[in-house]
Amino acid sequence: MMDTKQSRSGRNMAARWSSENVVVEFRDAQATAMSVDCLGRHAVLSGRRFLYMVNLEIPSETPRKIGRQSKWDVGTVQWNPHKSEAHLFAASSNQRVDLYVWRDGCGEAHTSLQGHTRVISDLDWSWFEPEYLVTSSVDTYIYIWDTRDTRKPTVALSAVAGASQVKWNRRNPSCLASSHDGDVRIWDKRKPNTAVEYVAAHLSKIHGLDWHPDNEYILATSSQDNSVRFWDFRQPRKYLNILSCQVPVWKARYTPFSNGLVTVMVPQLRRENSLLLWSTLDLNSPVHAFVGHDDVVLEFQWRPQKEGSKDYQLVTWSRDQTLRIWRVDPQLQKLCANDIVEELVEGMALNTESEKTLPSQDSEPPLSPGLSSEDLQDQQEGLQAALMGGGRQDAPGLPQTLQQEFSLVNLQIRNVNVEMDAVNRSCFVSAHCGANRVRLVVKFPAQYPNNAAPTFQFVPPTTISSSMKIKILKILTDTSLQKVKRNQNCLEPCVRQLVSCLESDMEDGTAANPYVLSNPVTPALPAFPRVTNTYGSYQDANIPFPRTSGARFCGTGSLVYFTRPTTMHRSLPPTEPTPRSLSALSAYHSGVLTPMKMRTESQSTLRLYSGSPTRSDKEQVSISSFYYKERKPPQSILRRWSVQAIHDCPKSRRWKSKREGGDYGNKPIKPAGKVIIQEISCLLPIHKALGETYVLNVNDIQDTCQKNSAAALAVGRRDLAKVWALASAATSVDLSPDSDPDADTPWARHPFGRHLLETLLDHYSQMSDVQSLAMLCSVFQAQGSPQDYFTLYGHHVPRSAIFAPHHMRYPSYTSSSVTSGSCSSTSDSTTTAWNIAGRDPEHAPPWGESSPDDYRYANQVYSDPREREKEQHDMNKRLLDPANALQFDDFKKCYGEILHRWGLKEKRSEVLKFVSCPPEPHKGIEFGVYCCHCRSQARGTQCAVCKRFTFQCAICHVAVRGSSNFCLSCGHGGHTSHMMEWFRVQEVCPTGCGCHCLLQSTF
Amino acid sequence: MVSVINTVDTSHEDMIHDAQMDYYGTRLATCSSDRSVKIFDVKNGGQILLADLRGHEGPVWQVAWAHPMYGNILASCSYDRKVIIWKEENGSWDKMYEYTGHDSSVNSVCWGPYDFGLILACGSSDGAISILTCSGDGQWDIKKISNAHTIGCNAVSWAPAVVPGSLVDQPTGQKPNYIKRFVSGGCDNLVKLWKEEDGQWKEDQKLEAHSDWVRDVGWAPSIGLPTSTIASCSQDGRVFIWTCDDPSGNTWTAKLLHKFNDVVWHVSWSITGNILAVSGGDNKVTLWKESLDGQWACISDVNKGQGAVSSVTDGQQNEQ
Repeated sequence: MMDTKQSRSGRNMAARWSSENVVVEFRDAQATAMSVDCLGRHAVLSGRRFLYMVNLEIPSETPRKIGRQSKWDVGTVQWNPHKSEAHLFAASSNQRVDLYVWRDGCGEAHTSLQGHTRVISDLDWSWFEPEYLVTSSVDTYIYIWDTRDTRKPTVALSAVAGASQVKWNRRNPSCLASSHDGDVRIWDKRKPNTAVEYVAAHLSKIHGLDWHPDNEYILATSSQDNSVRFWDFRQPRKYLNILSCQVPVWKARYTPFSNGLVTVMVPQLRRENSLLLWSTLDLNSPVHAFVGHDDVVLEFQWRPQKEGSKDYQLVTWSRDQTLRIWRVDPQLQKLCANDIVEELVEGMALNTESEKTLPSQDSEPPLSPGLSSEDLQDQQEGLQAALMGGGRQDAPGLPQTLQQEFSLVNLQIRNVNVEMDAVNRSCFVSAHCGANRVRLVVKFPAQYPNNAAPTFQFVPPTTISSSMKIKILKILTDTSLQKVKRNQNCLEPCVRQLVSCLESDMEDGTAANPYVLSNPVTPALPAFPRVTNTYGSYQDANIPFPRTSGARFCGTGSLVYFTRPTTMHRSLPPTEPTPRSLSALSAYHSGVLTPMKMRTESQSTLRLYSGSPTRSDKEQVSISSFYYKERKPPQSILRRWSVQAIHDCPKSRRWKSKREGGDYGNKPIKPAGKVIIQEISCLLPIHKALGETYVLNVNDIQDTCQKNSAAALAVGRRDLAKVWALASAATSVDLSPDSDPDADTPWARHPFGRHLLETLLDHYSQMSDVQSLAMLCSVFQAQGSPQDYFTLYGHHVPRSAIFAPHHMRYPSYTSSSVTSGSCSSTSDSTTTAWNIAGRDPEHAPPWGESSPDDYRYANQVYSDPREREKEQHDMNKRLLDPANALQFDDFKKCYGEILHRWGLKEKRSEVLKFVSCPPEPHKGIEFGVYCCHCRSQARGTQCAVCKRFTFQCAICHVAVRGSSNFCLSCGHGGHTSHMMEWFRVQEVCPTGCGCHCLLQSTF
Repeated sequence: MVSVINTVDTSHEDMIHDAQMDYYGTRLATCSSDRSVKIFDVKNGGQILLADLRGHEGPVWQVAWAHPMYGNILASCSYDRKVIIWKEENGSWDKMYEYTGHDSSVNSVCWGPYDFGLILACGSSDGAISILTCSGDGQWDIKKISNAHTIGCNAVSWAPAVVPGSLVDQPTGQKPNYIKRFVSGGCDNLVKLWKEEDGQWKEDQKLEAHSDWVRDVGWAPSIGLPTSTIASCSQDGRVFIWTCDDPSGNTWTAKLLHKFNDVVWHVSWSITGNILAVSGGDNKVTLWKESLDGQWACISDVNKGQGAVSSVTDGQQNEQ
């Protein structure tokens, strides 16, 4: 059990349920910028006096430092994104950029770039050329530096206006974008004199700029004007999409996975410290909030994904001087890939005519805009292509050479390695997923991709099963054919299909085996620090909005319910329905979606729900945040709420006195209402009082009915009193049926017999009065069977022998019945012993311990039509239709359950005595019979092969047709009567085989 | 008369999401956003806190009592993706089992009929439904229905252990052959019926009527009648009563109970299966009863202050 102290201390760590798994505080860092290197090993934090190198593997380790002397803060710091130059990072400080080298645990500034005349606003390393760095400054110039020649910039782009951001295009090495107040300029570095394109993006200052990771033409801008806009720079006049926020947006950056976007609000406001994760496909509400920072988030970067990990990690640095690492698991990633694809595509009909392509470097044919996106296989990425204006419709459809495909294919796919050999027109694809390894040779025919599909072949060390191989081959062939039919490349789609196929196979495999729940999420969970604020984040657009009121029927006659306390009612106007999803609560966190009350209330009230949630425990966001806590005198509450189910008036009185005490402003109102237990048994058709007073005396049915009638009257059920009176009449001895089928039509066939009873049962069924149903069924069964039973078997077995065991045991008779049926005891009862099959109810009654219903279950074969008639008559005599016996049993079982809940266990067993117990299917020993003449196995008395009777009596040597008995040891036996006679005086086998039959047989 | 027999102040620090009494109606379990589950002795109108169960790391959405023949066992499910099964032994409550097989919030837990042993169904926002079966000796066997509901599963409810379809057609000479079945509701606006065949769970029926997320489903208890009844409620404010008289269990007909103005969160059947309690976002509880001619009528409305449950409000006001 978790004690509260622990939870408190955990709270200070402010770890949240939002998959944050690392929090490290660097109290004295005072860092203004942060960057994560391309290997994911280090984060550099740049403070005024030191640069701190945080080891991301062991972030809690004391960071190494690099001293620096400057009176200026570091503006921007960035690692070189190329693995070959991973030891290098650049930091801007006022007008200068320092280049640092970090090697073997220590680092130094080895050179600096000086050229700007005003403060540097941003810098960015090229994605394509490791030596190139671009800087922007308020001095209106954008310089591109070749770090091999640091004396002066190699290119200077003159913008006239000061730039706030500059970013290299991720797909086109010559292209870059800069922001100038509310405008964006797109540059080709080879044309430094003038920008290629102007985008009048926002009315207020642009704080952040980010290129789409996969599409050359798409970028996102975040601005002071409270919005994030998405642009295709070929259509500068109209944004593709807009994300409206209530507050200025500091940064909006694409995620490395699917269609995500992370935003941070403008730090200066110091109000919203969460990072929000959005799906660019559905900008209505964020899919997740990374909650935890107590102050503004200054920088966030994605840590390159580790080998074999499905998780992404977001590294954030905040003014609260903590560095946090948040895990983004595949579940969360999936949320960014919404499934409302079609709608969006429709709403996004793009004008693709106005295509303007930047000529790329060198003299290669212009990159088709569709290239990168064309090959994206899955749905959302397909959408992206459409969204981003590229799409395959405007792909020129040029068949590409294999070499081109190889050089352009995007195979940054997890767990996959592709070795391409354009000369031999083949490639090796190696993929691993869990324990499965796949290596595949893909051979491309000469005509490829002109309607000629490549061939696929598995080669060692492939470990998957052959059925899986067949499945994968089929998928690959289908995919490739689909593509080459349209003269399109198919390598990347095929590789993606391969991976998803392997992954889904692995998931299936784990789902099938409960003990290997190697879910990517689950095992990581325990590693989390203790989560304290439960509603930290709502990644949870798909988690239903919590119930805050509810009612449940419990026990037999109780209704348990809880409602929201009086003092809380919804902050939304009553006309607006309660939100369906938990993510609605994130509004209270992010301030993005302001609830109605917040917009209309004054500032002081606003503090109530929107105040920084992490500042105070009392104000943490919870489901109660959704509800407006009313602060009015209790009188008005009474007036307003008396009609509603409000249960907190005692509390409100207390509250009033507190209020008079003057401290109500700070006193939190209990958000938990009371739980009310209400007695509603009067609404039910059953009565506990009747359960107690009803009797079931099988020996005097008349008396039982009369007593029950009185009991019903006592609780006011006059209808039941009459029904019991009728029952009494119907069970009268005068009406008891004759045992002779020819004598008379039994009373049951009379309209007032079975028909009346059925009508009654129907009625009480409709009323769901299981109590009356069960009691009536029991009484009429009691009335029917014992007398029948007595008349049938009375002259054979003493009455007590039937009733006593029958009524004493519920429900375990079946086993005894089965065993005694096959080899009955000789010691118990000399008259009925040694019978094998109770074929003849007249002469061989079922074993002492059987229920009156047993005959129903015996598979009887009538040789005598009179027996059939008798059977028929027996059915007809009964007031309860035996065909419905199972249903009657269910009434009794259900009522028994209710009696159990009432604690009336004796009454329960009385009722359950009348539940018929069908014998279990025979599972015991079955005796095989071999024909004594031909030795073939036979069933029954006649051999199917030689048509003779299968065995002879050991005494009279006549074939046995009727009941017989055998010794289990020597197999000899004969007519039951002969055997009985013989063993009355003898102990050994009558055949003289020497077997001591009576001793050998264990029964 | 309907009367308030107990008012339990749970002292939860945050909103309550579920409250349920045990089989005998002597203990009350509650769960809350404060991450705790509490158990109270509520015999004779008293309220004694028996246990304050901590173990969840997120809001606890629902609790469920198991049949007492297996001991005092309570299951709880939470936003933290876990299902915890608690057991009382020698007066103290401890974790009996913790199930962490879901990738998202677990929204609903429901114990199966005791005839099937200790068996629990769990519905989660990851879209899957897990069926946990206690195989004795503390081992739990897990079966998972992946992607039972796209986007998420919000509720599960077991069918009573009755022979499906007509009770009359059972072959004689055998113990009735119960089939395990349950119903689930989810964010795909569907109500789905599941049944076990040869140890595997299969989708049996798909009931479409709701136009928004299905928030709760309730399979009515059986008193031995051949009709199966299910109630479902949804974000769209509608409550449907589904009935099936068909022996093969294939033909379900829907009847709209009522369209509420706000989301309906919960439906609950009385033990005799003829009264339905409905509660939702409007903070009200209404009781509905089927008349003899098959029409559903509201027999109480807390808001109207009339009928039987007027005494609810009366009771409240008297307390004031």
